[in-house]
Order: sequence, then C-alpha cells, then structure tokens
Amino acid sequence: MRYVHLYFTCIKRSMISRLEYKKDTIVALFSFFFSNLCSLAALYFILQAIPTLAGYSLPEVGFFYGFSMIPIALDHLFSDEFWLVAYRRVKDGDMDMHFLRPVPVLFQVFAETFQPEGFGELILGAALITVCALNLTVTVTFGTVAALLVGAVFGAVIITSLKVAMAALAFVFKRSGPLLQVIYNFSAYAKYPLAIYPGLIRALLIFVLPFGLFISLPVDTLLYGTHNPWLLSLAIIGCSAVFFALAVWIWTLCERRYESTGS
Amino acid sequence: MLKKYKPFLRAGAIDTMAYRFNILIWAAITVCEVACMVFLWLAVYRSSAGGIDAEIHGFTYREMISYVVLTTIFNFVTYNNDTLWNINTDIKKGTIGNYLIKPISYRGKFSATSLGTLLTMTALFGLPLYTAALVTLGVLGFLPGLTFPAFFAHLGLFLLSGLCASLLNDTISYIFGVLCFYTSSGWGLNSLKVTLISFLSGTLLPIAFFPAGLREVLDWMPFAGMSQNPILILMMKYDLARSLGSVALSAAWIVVLELLAKFLFMHAVRKVTVQGG
Repeated sequence: MRYVHLYFTCIKRSMISRLEYKKDTIVALFSFFFSNLCSLAALYFILQAIPTLAGYSLPEVGFFYGFSMIPIALDHLFSDEFWLVAYRRVKDGDMDMHFLRPVPVLFQVFAETFQPEGFGELILGAALITVCALNLTVTVTFGTVAALLVGAVFGAVIITSLKVAMAALAFVFKRSGPLLQVIYNFSAYAKYPLAIYPGLIRALLIFVLPFGLFISLPVDTLLYGTHNPWLLSLAIIGCSAVFFALAVWIWTLCERRYESTGS
Repeated sequence: MLKKYKPFLRAGAIDTMAYRFNILIWAAITVCEVACMVFLWLAVYRSSAGGIDAEIHGFTYREMISYVVLTTIFNFVTYNNDTLWNINTDIKKGTIGNYLIKPISYRGKFSATSLGTLLTMTALFGLPLYTAALVTLGVLGFLPGLTFPAFFAHLGLFLLSGLCASLLNDTISYIFGVLCFYTSSGWGLNSLKVTLISFLSGTLLPIAFFPAGLREVLDWMPFAGMSQNPILILMMKYDLARSLGSVALSAAWIVVLELLAKFLFMHAVRKVTVQGG
C-alpha cells in the first residue's frame, strides 16, 4: 500500500516536469500519430498490389498490426525510464540517489517516469483493431478473446522484463542501450503474420524472443482457431512469469556492480 | 600491488571498444531490419497474382531487395545530420547569442559541417559498402538493368544526387531547427522531420506504389530526390535524361528552401528567449 502511494507521488512529480515544454509535447504527439499513419499507409499501398499476403486478407493483416501495438503501448506507459538507465544514467553515475533511499532501486526506476504517449499508441492500436474486426467475419468465443487479453497484458510484462534485464546489464558494461535496442526492435517482426517468415525465424519469435507467442499466435487463434486458446493463455502467462522472475534476478545481481562516478 | 590499477585497465579497454561495439550493434540492428523487409517483400511477391517472378509497379522482387539494401546504405552514409540538435542546444543553453554576434553566417556553419560529414562518411563507409553491395547484388543477378560503360555516367550522377540529397536534408533540418525557436525543444520536431522524410522520400516504400494523385504531387516535391531518385539512378532504372532532370529538380529545391530558411530565421531570431546561461 505504501508503494502504491509512493508510486503515484513520484509519477505526479514526473508529469509536472513534463509540462515544461508544452508545445513540443503536442508536436511529439502529432508526429507519433503521423508516423504510425505513414507505416500503415505504406502497408496498405503494398497490399493494394496483391490479393492476399501469405493467405491473409487486408483487414487480417491490419488486425495483426493493430494488436501488436497494444502490449508495446502498455509497456511504453510504465517502463520508459529503463531506456535512460541503459543508455545514459549508469554511465553518467546518475543513479546514486536511488541507492541512498530505503526503497528497492528497481521500484524507484519504475516510479521515475510515466509516459502518457503510450495512450496514443493504445488508442491507435484499439481503433485499428476495431476497424479491421468490423470487416472480418470470425466467430468470437470467450476463449479467443481471453487469449487476446492475456497476450496484451502478459505480453507487456514480457517486454518490460526484457527491458529490465537488458538495462540491468548497464551496471556491468556501463552502457547497454544499443543491446536493448536490438532486442526491442525484434518486436517489429510481430507486426506481420508469422507465416511470412522462414521456420527458423518463426521458432525464434516463439521460443526465444517470444513476441510471436503473445502477438501472432493469439491473433491466429482468433482468425483461424489454430491453437487451443486456454492452453495458449496458460503458455503466455507461464512464459511471462519466467521472464519476470529472470529479469528481477538479473537486475538484483547486476545492481551490486554499480559504481558511482564520485563526482 | 598492481590490483588498484585494474579498474583503469578495464576503463581503457571499454573506452576503446565503445565505438567499435556501437558500430557492430548498429550493423546488427540494420541487418535485422533489412531481413524483416526482405521477408515481407518475398511474401508479397509470392502472394502476388503473377507469382514470385511477377513485376509489381515496375519492380521485380530482385530489384526490390536491391532497392531496400541500397537505400539502407544510402541513408546511413547521407543522413548523419546534427543540425537540428545543434540549433536546439544553442537555443536551450543560450549559446545562440555567441553566434549572432560573430561575423560568420549561422546557416553557413551548418552547411559546411554537414558537407564535411558527408565526405568523411562517403570515403570511410560509402565506398566499401556500396562496392560490396553492388558487386554482391550484381553477381546474384539482382541488378539486371546494369550495363557497362553507361554505369559510370550513372555513378557520377548518383554521387551528385547524393550531394544534393545531403544538402536538401541539411536545409530541411535547419528549417525544423529554426522552428525550435518557437517550441523551445527539439524532440517532437525531430521525429516529425524524420517521419516526413522517410515516408515522402520513398525510403519506406518506392513512390511507384503510391496512389496516382499523391504520386504526381511527389514527383515535383523535393523529397523523392532525397532517397528514391539517387538509388534508382544508381540501379539504372532511370535513363540519363530522367536522372539529369531529377538532379536539376533537387538543385532548384535547394535554392527555394534556402530562401525559405532565410526568411524564417529572420522572423524567428526576434523570438529568441535565452534561458539563463
């Protein structure tokens, strides 16, 4: 309970400092929508030239694209600070203050920022899913919807865990931002149906960097009933538990290696 | 006794490795991105009505893959422009004042810097990367349009259009940088600029895929000259006349945009608020 209160106090402070550059925040929000619109337009123009993409129709491909934005957006809301830890804060020795406070460092980093930009992604993804779903004829069951919800929420936990683990490596190597970037960029692969990739990449996206597990498989299950939705949900939850536990373990191990710059 | 020097040894090693490591990581990211695009395009061509060997909007899948690879190299070599960030820093730290009283042009300083970067990047990375890509793609038969000795004329025009692209990018960055006078921060403006250029220049997708109306407008805009046209000149998809036309259009736009930048700066400089010091 104390932590919930603490979290909101910290977030309120971070929002106040964000208001410093109002105009730029508006431009940033606009450019974010514009950039997603451009990617979507590009995909739309490509699909205009062909009947289906590996058997998937235009609204189906759009559904994949829109759904992939949801777990990414949820993660974006809560864990943006880890980018700074990985790129700059450990290198600059700017983490001292966190080690002096009687609260776990990991919690403090989470409480450092809340990114309202994530809402833009969330809204856009939801809108795209809705528009595409209206143009699809699928039999919606309780199970398939549950699998999608599990994929979105626990998928976000998996992304956040990957971020925490990669950012933690900065305590050892001083700067792990680029490595985090490589791992994170694999999420782009999950924007398209897994069917367009060769088997090796597909396996990688399910078993190693499981973006396909929580994005592509639930959508496939909704559209074509490829998997048992309950077993799939269970697999995603189990996977997120393992990733989260590993991430916290790696963070605790690496945290001890932090050196202040002494300035 | 030597133990206390161990941290320095490690620091030295890490420092030396830092840049090499960055380039390796950059290469890894780029390879992943290009691979993703290649898989997407292969799936697109396989799914097309004419099968894998079909031609879509004037491109075969081999040419499309060549286009993706060459555009990636082109962007890496040509777009290392810090103009927007430098202006943003000058505004935030107040150092802009120092430049306004010096007898050199604020604009000229940036053109010179970005030209220097372009030359170094072309010599250091451009030459080996373009050569490797062209030879590999050529041997694989992915560049059917290439004929000798006409290629050398195209190569010359490509380098010229690359120069134009870099200058256009610097001017546009400068214009967006000057807009920071109004917003006081550069994050939003920078991402807007990057998106605008990557979509309208054909980096994301060749302009041939765009709907007819948009395509005709973009043919007269400066953006196609910043990525698509240089690459199509190099791939010899454009004949000499069209290549020359493209370079001329870019040159004309550089003049227009420089004038626009000048007027904008004259207005913006009255808005300067130096935030402390």
